[in-house]
Amino acid sequence: MNPRRLFSRTKLYWGLALICLIGALASPHTSSGANIFLSYQNLTDVLRQVSVTGLVATGMTIVILLGGIDLSVGSVMGCSSVICAMLLTKSGWTPAAIMGAPAATISIALAVGFLAQFVFNGLERGRDVDAGRRREIVLGPWRGYRIPVLLGLAAGAAVAAYVVSQVPAKFGVFAVLLVTPCFALALGAINGALIVQGGLQPFIATLAMMVSALGIGRLTGGQDFAVIPVYTGTNATEAFEVLRSMVWGLIPMPSIFFLVTIVLFGAILRFTTFGRYVYAIGGNVEAAKLSGVKVKQVQFAAYVISGLLAGVAGVLFVAQYRQGKPDAGAGLELDAIAAVVIGGTSLMGGRGGLAGTFVGVLIFGLLSDILQLQNIDSNVQLLMKGLIIVGTVLVQEQNLGQLLARWRGVPLAPQPALPGSVEAARPPNAAKASTVREDIHEKT
Amino acid sequence: MKRREFLKLSGTIAGAAMTVYLPAGWTPAKAAAKWKVGFSQATTLEPWRVQFNKDIEAEAKKHPEVQLIITDGQDKTEKQVADVENLIVQQVNALLISPKESAGLTGVVEKAIDAKIPVIVLDRNVDTKRITQFIGGDNVLIGKAAGEYAVKLLGGPGNAHGNVVEIWGGMGTAPAHDRHDGFHAFTDKEPGIKYLLNNQSGDWKQDKAYNIMTTALRNNEKIDLVYGHNDPMAYGAYLAAKDAGRDKDIKFILGIDALPDEGVTWVHKGYLTATFLYATPGAEGLRQAVKLLNGEKIPPVITLPTMLVDKNNADDILKQNGLL
Repeated sequence: MNPRRLFSRTKLYWGLALICLIGALASPHTSSGANIFLSYQNLTDVLRQVSVTGLVATGMTIVILLGGIDLSVGSVMGCSSVICAMLLTKSGWTPAAIMGAPAATISIALAVGFLAQFVFNGLERGRDVDAGRRREIVLGPWRGYRIPVLLGLAAGAAVAAYVVSQVPAKFGVFAVLLVTPCFALALGAINGALIVQGGLQPFIATLAMMVSALGIGRLTGGQDFAVIPVYTGTNATEAFEVLRSMVWGLIPMPSIFFLVTIVLFGAILRFTTFGRYVYAIGGNVEAAKLSGVKVKQVQFAAYVISGLLAGVAGVLFVAQYRQGKPDAGAGLELDAIAAVVIGGTSLMGGRGGLAGTFVGVLIFGLLSDILQLQNIDSNVQLLMKGLIIVGTVLVQEQNLGQLLARWRGVPLAPQPALPGSVEAARPPNAAKASTVREDIHEKT
Repeated sequence: MKRREFLKLSGTIAGAAMTVYLPAGWTPAKAAAKWKVGFSQATTLEPWRVQFNKDIEAEAKKHPEVQLIITDGQDKTEKQVADVENLIVQQVNALLISPKESAGLTGVVEKAIDAKIPVIVLDRNVDTKRITQFIGGDNVLIGKAAGEYAVKLLGGPGNAHGNVVEIWGGMGTAPAHDRHDGFHAFTDKEPGIKYLLNNQSGDWKQDKAYNIMTTALRNNEKIDLVYGHNDPMAYGAYLAAKDAGRDKDIKFILGIDALPDEGVTWVHKGYLTATFLYATPGAEGLRQAVKLLNGEKIPPVITLPTMLVDKNNADDILKQNGLL
């Protein structure tokens, strides 16, 4: 690959590097002369601050790659924060426990059941001598459904027993981490069902969920609690502080959640059949359908994942800011979409990926940090963020040769287009050429 | 599953959910009330508004002759306008309103006055002289009280010294500007006081203030006093300092609002140095409405006083509210 094309492909990373450079050069210094921006604490702080948005943006990337959108994540995150705070601070069958326990039981039961079936399927496929050739796999009644159902029921029963045992006292850290995301997952599943089975537009279905989840959060909290405060050690278990601690004094816990999640889903998107299906469906739904891809299942899974990650984000929000509130995630969905778009994922679906989203999230976080360190007026900060979104997306959409050509004043030459880029579909000079030909035609 | 079956099923589930949840949000009307008083609340998402509603409901319980109808504008001007129109149609005897914003609600308030309904405006005013009464706190006054107290903490008038972090409420909201102006009326006279931040807005939110403070702590080695435009932001700043291991270095943290389960609790626990009461006009509003309905004359403006809440009186306030 020639160096210019390489540079053009990696320009997002250069953008990130540029922002870091600006941050380092412009950074204020401590009295001992150390650079504040580059200090380890500051950089880990940024990584922590972007974790909530990052988790949500990870789920959002998968949904957007499919050509969908999930507007409900902010509300679902807020609702989850209420559930989490309530489970932590109140004992007995609170509304949070009433909704969370069945949600956890059912989701875990289904997850284990499907996982068992998936494993049996995989084993059967592996026996096939003709590996790589597609064929229908037919399992017997035992491996086909009896064992998966039994395993699912067993797992569900175990979870139910565990959760119910937590109810009389306040929930512990592990129980909260189990129940809250499962609850959010259930909301995501409703989104998915409405879109896949109900045939609703993703925009409409998730918009409805965005409004409803806010309502659910407020009803759950009750009119008396616009905010549920969490005082670890007083009204909640002290162990909950683990979720905001520095692990080995090196890296904040929320960042670990974020990094593990994004690496995990990055690998899933890149190396698994599910991941390839996501791109295939996002690129062309009809073609994917005709090729035998189970479109509905993949779409459903994407919204479930998005809900699940919003739930995890809700728990981390409670841990960091010691409160659960229904409107905790107001505007979060838009931050997440912005990060995804800055990362180069197309809102049309089928193009982009989690590496870009990771950079997009970091660009947003670093920018906030730099502006804050420079002590810039809050209103100006908003303006700058808007400009950055427009700027990065503009640069993303064009390849570097074109940008440079324009700056040098050289007329656009037909570029060897990047595979999958907009230019591949539309050669830059085609439109011009046809109009010229028409002119000639009229004159003659 | 066919699409129609699915829709039917989801309809059933939604219906079931409604029947479970609706009773929670529905209050039956009092039958034997003499007066119907409507109260249009702007939103119930903020704790201060929740306290506001609690206060007015508690006061309504003391007046069995009054049936109180509360509506929630859900932080949207259009919704609140519709709420007030609905109350006009219900022919309430008096209308209490706490508008989300001044300009958008003025028209519908005039419509109520045209319908011969006396209007008492609470907390934020509307742009008309025809209302019967306005009740509200004075944010400039509260800001001044906080400023005067801050100067005293930092060494007294004339020789106050210290680095101050001020965390703004929502930019472009009147209370934030008033709380800023009032505070600066005192602190700007002190050459020893230095402001470290330039208009940094936490948007009234604990989490945003936390992040602002985290950076401020990184950027400044010495911070003496934090002034948050409300208690959650002051508390957020405290949490940031605590997580950075520097809560002991910061001598004073001041907030505003003094809600029993927020600011007062935090003062009691020693997280905040002091907070200043921004009383809700809920109880006073209903008392005035009852007076008016009974034919008494009421003054056109009532300004609610503020109060310093520090470790000396926090415990008493918590006891009065049954929180201790």
